[in-house]
Amino acid sequence: MSASTAPFKQRYRRSVSDPELKPRLLAFQRSWRESRDAQVRSLEQRTERSFDELRREFAAVKDSTLERIDDYIAEFRANAEAAGATVVQLSTAEEAVNYIAAVCKSRGIDLVVKSKSMVSEEIELNYELEQRGITAIETDLGEWLLQLAEERPSHLVMPAIHQKRQYVAEILGEELGREFDPDDIPAMVASARDGLRRHYLSAGAGLTGANALIAETGSIVVVTNEGNMRLATSLPDVHFVTAGIEKLIPSWSDAERQLQLLPRSATAQTLSTYTTCITGAQPGKEMHVILLDNGRRAMRDSDVIGDALRCIRCGACANVCPPYQIVGGHTFGHIYTGAIGLVNTTFHHGIEDAAGPQGLCVSCGACQTVCPVDIPLPKQILEIRHRSHESGHAPLWEQIALRLWARPRLFHHLMGVAAAGSGLARLVGLVRGDHLRAPLPKRLRWRAIPALPLRSGRTLIKSRAPQSTLSDSPAAGQTVDLFAQCLADRLMPSAVDSAARLIEAGGAAVNVPESQHCCGLPAFDAGDWDMARRMAEHTIEALEDGEREIVTPAPSCVISMQDHWPRLFADDGEWRARAAGVSDRVHDLADWLEGPGRLPDACLRNGDGTSWTAHRFCQASNRNDAGARIDKLVERLTGETARPLAEPDVCCGFGGLTSLAAPEVGAGILERKLACVAESGCDTLITNNPGCVIHLRAGANAGGANHKTLHYADFLAARLPKDP
Amino acid sequence: MTTTTNRTALFAEGLRAAQGEFVQCRSWDDVWQYAESLSDETPVVAPAAYVHLQRGESPDEEDPLRSIADRSVGITIATCGIAETGSVLLIEPAPIDRAVSLLTRHLIVALAEPDIVDELTDGFRWLAQQPRAAAYATFVTGPSRTADIERSLTIGVQGPSRLTVAVLP
Ligand code: SF4
Repeated sequence: MSASTAPFKQRYRRSVSDPELKPRLLAFQRSWRESRDAQVRSLEQRTERSFDELRREFAAVKDSTLERIDDYIAEFRANAEAAGATVVQLSTAEEAVNYIAAVCKSRGIDLVVKSKSMVSEEIELNYELEQRGITAIETDLGEWLLQLAEERPSHLVMPAIHQKRQYVAEILGEELGREFDPDDIPAMVASARDGLRRHYLSAGAGLTGANALIAETGSIVVVTNEGNMRLATSLPDVHFVTAGIEKLIPSWSDAERQLQLLPRSATAQTLSTYTTCITGAQPGKEMHVILLDNGRRAMRDSDVIGDALRCIRCGACANVCPPYQIVGGHTFGHIYTGAIGLVNTTFHHGIEDAAGPQGLCVSCGACQTVCPVDIPLPKQILEIRHRSHESGHAPLWEQIALRLWARPRLFHHLMGVAAAGSGLARLVGLVRGDHLRAPLPKRLRWRAIPALPLRSGRTLIKSRAPQSTLSDSPAAGQTVDLFAQCLADRLMPSAVDSAARLIEAGGAAVNVPESQHCCGLPAFDAGDWDMARRMAEHTIEALEDGEREIVTPAPSCVISMQDHWPRLFADDGEWRARAAGVSDRVHDLADWLEGPGRLPDACLRNGDGTSWTAHRFCQASNRNDAGARIDKLVERLTGETARPLAEPDVCCGFGGLTSLAAPEVGAGILERKLACVAESGCDTLITNNPGCVIHLRAGANAGGANHKTLHYADFLAARLPKDP
Repeated sequence: MTTTTNRTALFAEGLRAAQGEFVQCRSWDDVWQYAESLSDETPVVAPAAYVHLQRGESPDEEDPLRSIADRSVGITIATCGIAETGSVLLIEPAPIDRAVSLLTRHLIVALAEPDIVDELTDGFRWLAQQPRAAAYATFVTGPSRTADIERSLTIGVQGPSRLTVAVLP
């Protein structure tokens, strides 16, 4: 069994123990990001349209085509057949393989040269043809290297990105019977060219994919960089095209729209080297276009998932994915990799193959921001997680943890015990700063265990007099409900208290509703929606009294209430209305301090010379929330300037349950973040989501970092005038 | 309105960004001289360019591809150029039309300056109205390349490793 086809757990272990994978993928992600952004900027300038406008426009084309897919298939077929091609619609992988094999057999063909085609990977064509006595040779260099190594692609566009050059030298050496210097990549490429050339000359058929199928003329469009596709369609007498039905587009102008977005998003090129358009069979030759369904119509008709069929396979969603950077595509995906692989695998290969990597997604939402067809991937991944949970794929520890979490009284009880334990540990010298000195298993040693403070945030608020007013905000005189967030309340109570003091400094009073607990986010994230609903109902009941505005220091809970609750109560009108009654009133603290609870400019200036920088909670940032830009808020209130931080919106690795389920992923992403923080040279790192504070602090403590990690509420409240 | 001169300048810029080479020629004689200066081998000439050049070697009609595989220098002609990207559009319905652009090591593409259009859109619009041309049409942007081994950009894989566009008045 090769590295890419082993069961998920083995693939996971193998990828996290490869020391070279992470740095290689990190360098790749960073350089792609830079050149892709430059490409997108110049496209925006030239067209005087925003990327968002351009992608939504093309997404709309894809959507309307998919709605009437059968009409477009009929149009494509009529035009392609008029130009001499044969067009077949096939439902399953097996039918597609059988069709190709039958054509080969009847023409006496035993060698097929292939240009890159993800559909042929999807149906595992090479293996299946081999079983039927036909040899298929990949001619795209990356795909050929995979074939020689018996591996699957680990990226949609850069299929062999996981292979190191030493390994390439080895497998090429074996195939071509000579030695290669791993550092001489041009020599390897040149030999590969010669090695492949003989196959073109003797193959009976060439097979390609298609990036687009144009209905109005029955044409196919294929983009490549190597030129192998042109060879594979010119030398042999038979040309097979394998394409999913979603590749249909109505017209040439739509193809052009696609080409504006595809190469820029895929390889950060303005245009790929070869953009080839073929219409029909060439004189004296045959062309067979195989339009494959293989779960696509079911996908189109499936709630929430349908939009995933817009995908143009650019790979961008993997290029910004923090967990992908840690584990690579053999682990983060199945045959389709990256965020889209987490979604479409369910339909092409089944939930069994889709379930493994679901827990690796940190829900940061970066994928959708770069997707050139604006697929709501984060939402879809949560949907697939939910389905995978429903079909019994949730780990036992997770189920137990969530059960405990879901019961507010039991939760508080356990937390109380843990806090007492921490107090005891403090007495006997087992606490250093804010974390325990207890030994952890090796897999977890990258973080320190936070010591639980004795008193919860809510207790702290009740045990002090109200903060004096600094300046009357528009909300002065109001009473505001504070939603503490379950995690922050126990693990970082001071941030909850600080949030309350900042609200009070604007002249509003703070009320802390008694029975509040958890909005349901952890359960929702884990796909356990029944439990999430119960937790949400509890929170709604706790917060629905009165017409007061609700403020929370946890932006993740705001997102949970605004985005997830409507999904949890989709089929329950009454609860949906009650949920909206609460979520319409909820504000992230940062938004509050800019809006109704606005504090004046530079009111918290203290001139103590602290140098600080800000990590922005990725999910809120990628969702384009104004409040995510806490650096701007803190700069305004303190009159100081943040130190520049590289990748401020990239996830810190907390990712809810991910850092527990896949500790190496949480640690790897954290390492990337902490390196950027160290480079900023700050004394204090501030951030906005309690989960991130805890994760970043635990990592900094374990790694002996020089900076302090604070919730920005703590950072700001420390500068409020001390009340007598 | 873009003028011809700065359209050409833009085209040259796009082409160079894609590792292609740009030469300005006054006549087909210039193109030929340039081609001959590159190698001792006689350049092979695609049928569409032969009409203008009337010299050089033509691919064999029976087996055009095998007859010229890996020859040093080839000359073909572009239907249009795209200023935005530095691409040339090759219309090559039959294998004999394609042989030169597929298999020679250094490809020279002759392009008439007035045929340079602003954007890909213009090229596509033209193509959409030419069903026969769309039988096999390729926008070529620079020489062939791969980054499949450790992302290291290597020019010249399976197609030409050098691409020069010779712009004619
Ligand atoms: S989902 Fe979007 S970003 Fe990912 S491969 Fe498809 S088109 Fe590209």
